[in-house]
Amino acid sequence: MKLSDREQGGIVILEPRGKIMGGPDATLLHDTLYGFIQQGKTRVVIDLGRIEWMNSTGLGILVQSYTTLKNSDGQLKLARVTNKIESLLTITKLVTIFESYDTVEDAVGSFQ
Amino acid sequence: MIKPEIKDNSIAIPSHQEFLPDVDVYIEGILRGYGADESVIADVAISVSELVINAIAHGNRAVRETPVTVTIDKVDGAVTITVTDQGQGFDPDDIDDPIADENLLRQVGRGIFIVRSLMDKVDIRAKENGTTVTITKAIS
Repeated sequence: MKLSDREQGGIVILEPRGKIMGGPDATLLHDTLYGFIQQGKTRVVIDLGRIEWMNSTGLGILVQSYTTLKNSDGQLKLARVTNKIESLLTITKLVTIFESYDTVEDAVGSFQ
Repeated sequence: MIKPEIKDNSIAIPSHQEFLPDVDVYIEGILRGYGADESVIADVAISVSELVINAIAHGNRAVRETPVTVTIDKVDGAVTITVTDQGQGFDPDDIDDPIADENLLRQVGRGIFIVRSLMDKVDIRAKENGTTVTITKAIS
């Protein structure tokens, strides 16, 4: 997995690419997110549009991110969830936890 | 064991998650050769990764030198994959229900549930010298 990030209107947008399956993926996303939290940036969108697939480790990273941000009075939202990830979120009932938007713009706009 | 070894229809890796991509590349390549569609390839790849992670962490207790072996075969329009470790097995019924409300925000515990949801068959065989999980998925 590769990871890039940008900010828009005070919202952090994380853009992982590839597959999230474990190992170094977990550390990279976790450390990047914590870096933003330490800067007081706790409104985050994860753009999943370039993720081919993720396994339970990837879902665990999303859950950890959601909980960490919530505990920091922040919020995590998902954008561009692919059909494969949508099915995993549904199977695991995590679809009841995460707010998802069709576009990054919609996700960013939802914070207003 | 220091690095992945590929032989016939199997790949063996040391017990470390850095080798997950090696297994993924191997399995996906063979599935594409079988003509499986991308959605099925993803489902199988996800499931194999779950089983390999469990084999590394729980079966082989992350002892790097202890191998995890993955084999793949196609019979009558279905692919069968086995993941073998040196551990003593587990009872999947002992795993907490990951979709129970009280467990939804747990970071772990979804792997076997996902495998059972995505695959047509899942079989777990524990023996004295290791555990083999066999998964089957129709690909045509």
